Amino acid sequence: MKGTIQNREKFLNQISARLGHNDISNSIPQRSWKYHPQDEVLTDTSPDQLVEVLKTQCLKIHTSLLSANLDNLAATLDKIVTDYGGGPVVTWKDQRFSEWGLDRLMKDAWPKENIEVHEWDYTQGAENIRYAEKANIGITISEITLAESGTVVLLSDKDKGRTVSFLPACFIALIPKSSIVPRITQAARIIRQKHLDGHRVASCINFITGPSNSADIELDLVVGVHGPVKATYIIIDDI
Amino acid sequence: MTMKIGTGDFKERVDQGIHDSFMRGAVAGAQERMGTRRNDAAEELGNWEDWRSHGEEIRQHVLEHLDYYLQQLSENIASRGGHVFFAQTGEEANQYIQDVVKRKNAKKVVKAKSMVTEEIALNDCLKQAGCEVIETDLGEYILQVDDHDPPSHIVVPALHKNKEQIRDVFAERLGYQKTSKPEELAGHARLKLREEFLSADIGITGCNFAVAETGSFSLVTNEGNADLVTALPKTQITVMGMERLVPTFEELEVLVSLLTRSAVGQKLTSYITVLTGPREEFDVDGPEEFHLVIVDNGRSQILGGEFQSILQCIRCAACINTCPVYRHVGGHSYGSIYSGPIGAVLSPLLGGYEDYKELPYASTLCGACTDVCPVKIPLHQLLHKHRQNIVENTGQAPISEKLAMKAFGLGAASPSLYKLGSKIAPAAMNPFTQGDKIKKGPGPLKAWTEIRDFPAPNKERFRDWYKNRDKGGNQ
Amino acid sequence: MKVTLFATCLVDMFQSNVGKATVELLERLGCEIIFPESQVCCGQPAYNSGYVRESKEAMKRMIRTFQNAEYVVSPSGSCVAMFKEYPHIFKEDHEWGLLAQQLAEKTYELTQFIVDVLHIEDVGAQLNGKATYHTSCHMTRLLGVKSAPMILLNNVKGLEYTELPGKEQCCGFGGTFSVKMAQISEQMVDEKVTHVEETGADYLIGADAGCMMNIGGRIDRTGKPIKVMHIAEVLNSR
Repeated sequence: MKGTIQNREKFLNQISARLGHNDISNSIPQRSWKYHPQDEVLTDTSPDQLVEVLKTQCLKIHTSLLSANLDNLAATLDKIVTDYGGGPVVTWKDQRFSEWGLDRLMKDAWPKENIEVHEWDYTQGAENIRYAEKANIGITISEITLAESGTVVLLSDKDKGRTVSFLPACFIALIPKSSIVPRITQAARIIRQKHLDGHRVASCINFITGPSNSADIELDLVVGVHGPVKATYIIIDDI
Repeated sequence: MTMKIGTGDFKERVDQGIHDSFMRGAVAGAQERMGTRRNDAAEELGNWEDWRSHGEEIRQHVLEHLDYYLQQLSENIASRGGHVFFAQTGEEANQYIQDVVKRKNAKKVVKAKSMVTEEIALNDCLKQAGCEVIETDLGEYILQVDDHDPPSHIVVPALHKNKEQIRDVFAERLGYQKTSKPEELAGHARLKLREEFLSADIGITGCNFAVAETGSFSLVTNEGNADLVTALPKTQITVMGMERLVPTFEELEVLVSLLTRSAVGQKLTSYITVLTGPREEFDVDGPEEFHLVIVDNGRSQILGGEFQSILQCIRCAACINTCPVYRHVGGHSYGSIYSGPIGAVLSPLLGGYEDYKELPYASTLCGACTDVCPVKIPLHQLLHKHRQNIVENTGQAPISEKLAMKAFGLGAASPSLYKLGSKIAPAAMNPFTQGDKIKKGPGPLKAWTEIRDFPAPNKERFRDWYKNRDKGGNQ
Repeated sequence: MKVTLFATCLVDMFQSNVGKATVELLERLGCEIIFPESQVCCGQPAYNSGYVRESKEAMKRMIRTFQNAEYVVSPSGSCVAMFKEYPHIFKEDHEWGLLAQQLAEKTYELTQFIVDVLHIEDVGAQLNGKATYHTSCHMTRLLGVKSAPMILLNNVKGLEYTELPGKEQCCGFGGTFSVKMAQISEQMVDEKVTHVEETGADYLIGADAGCMMNIGGRIDRTGKPIKVMHIAEVLNSR
């Protein structure tokens, strides 16, 4: 459904006049930049070196970083969940959990240990948010991971609720090693290219860098304000 | 004028600021910490000057094509089902938002920190519509709980308050019973605000940068409050200053990188959220209805004029964090929600010289602000332009100063008058001179000598010495 | 080498010692000094207060005065920065704009001239004691002269140098700011003086007469045992 636009003409005419454009069609811009500083940052770096950059950065953003392969991923994840005090757990509905061999853990082992697991299910509507609000841990997957800043990029859709990453007290992001890029520059280009290729931009793109925090009181850092209090990333060796 | 804060005239506010020793300690400490972090974050990149130049060229380009990009943005938002309202004035923006609130029969609004909504005094208008408004940024929340104490810094709004004051306010207003430890105070706010997020009807945010090509907009926070404001309520309203946009994601990335490094010295903040339209079909969270209100409120009058570069501003507060005047007088002295060098340039433009004529003079033109600006706004030159305007166009300059400057113009342009003046100066100053110092000077020297000595004019000027020396009289 | 001296009005009237030291120093370094009598003030006090029209007359006078000079050298970073601003101020005026450009290009601050033009890093000065140095805002930020004074001071025999804490912070002078916003200026200069004291220095060295009058005036008023010296005087000490 198309939205509405109100009061535009007069508003933009005034701007055009101030800029000395006869009308907007005189204003079609050519973007050509003299400077490209972003292309000099971490661009000659191998995937293994990027993992090292990411590890170092995680120390600065109060985030634990673990590495796993497909053989020990389940055990690694299980341990973190236990360390975080168990469930309830809320996860996206994502085929990849299954492909990475996590079904037994999430659908079998945890329920048996009384760790409640809720997989996002859009047919249940707002019920999902209530689960997320109650949950101790939220688990998501990073689509693009930024080594420089230690950032995971999450794209929302009907199976990937936004609140899985904000409402629970603890946040776990699974990071396929192949998703790691130098910095936000590459992520921006990937996202833009998808748009130019005719794909819809996700309604919510989250660049998340560690747990939530604030320095609003006497500039003292408090970790854990409105979003998660703790965060862990697990790099999965999929290359 | 709605961006106006505080009472009294400029001198009274400065006096109050200077005597607020906690605030001054807090500001000095903040300037040192934020300044160091900013420097480290900039240096770490190794090519910071290129980043600044790139930031500048992007912002200049957007301003030069603002009409085009705003049209493109609004088309793309509408095609994703969002509603766009162009508001020429703050009143128009407030009226539109009030209408949405009424139509939704909303009783509770949660807000993420936004300078432009402060500028148009949106909260007052929402309250008139019978709405409860809750600020969710921790700093803004503290100020709100404390009877709407105005913000003193555009990034750290409650910088002027110490934790004991905050504890007392929480105890009195919220029944808080724990200590003044920041984590306990923040924990309490988390608990209180969680309920508000979940029960709010409408979420209102500002906008760091909109992206014209995709009809998106971004929010930059560390607390994650903007995410909850935009994920939970059924209706979302975003208010943006009309200049706050970029062409594509590629430029968004650059400006966000400049913003987070300059504002808080972080490579990226914890939450950078880019939203496009309302929720998609079958999405469970995110708003069902999305409104973008694009506000002019005096900005178009700046466009195309000699102050256009101030619209490049990305609200990082680096200039505030380095300004030696802000350091001593604090944010409230500026009498505007926009303080520091950016405030001293912007407030007279948006609010008029009548209210803000002193601000351009509250600077030594030391240029520290210009040096740190990530988008290269020549702030100290704009302050100078204001002075020139005040002198030449407003008639607000003091008469005594005008006369003095007229005399200066004559004297300095005429070597013979200058020579005569400087020659008789020692005699003229004689009654005020003790040894080689003037300790209590007349006229404009009075203010100087109230706190410092002034050197007595040399009986033998340099030029006299030089002349005599040429004649072989002095070596 | 012929050097035309732009003494500045503050030095001419209030700090003739600085002018003398500049002349003696440059002569010792092999320069021939010319001092045109018709020089007045660079116009900065009026210009910075917003009186652009009034200040332009002084600027034109200065442009004419130095028109035939080979090098113009001045012991004040701020005043040199003002000369550098002239082309911008006269950019609408073709004739004066061109002359302003010529003046800007041949004008140097004293230490900059010694290091960059004369290529001298050790002037053979000696001064015993602890010193700190105030980096003036206009000299460092607007003019961009940062290293030259440090290079020269490092080679002064007997001088023990300590960096000034918060050195990049303005001292609160700002021309008419110091009287127009006296209350704020006081706070700024007080913080500067506190920092100077923290270094334990015997000498506070500077390269701008305005800043030195401000900090020095406050030091004198509060009776601190710190001597304020212009860098020309230091470099002329033997």
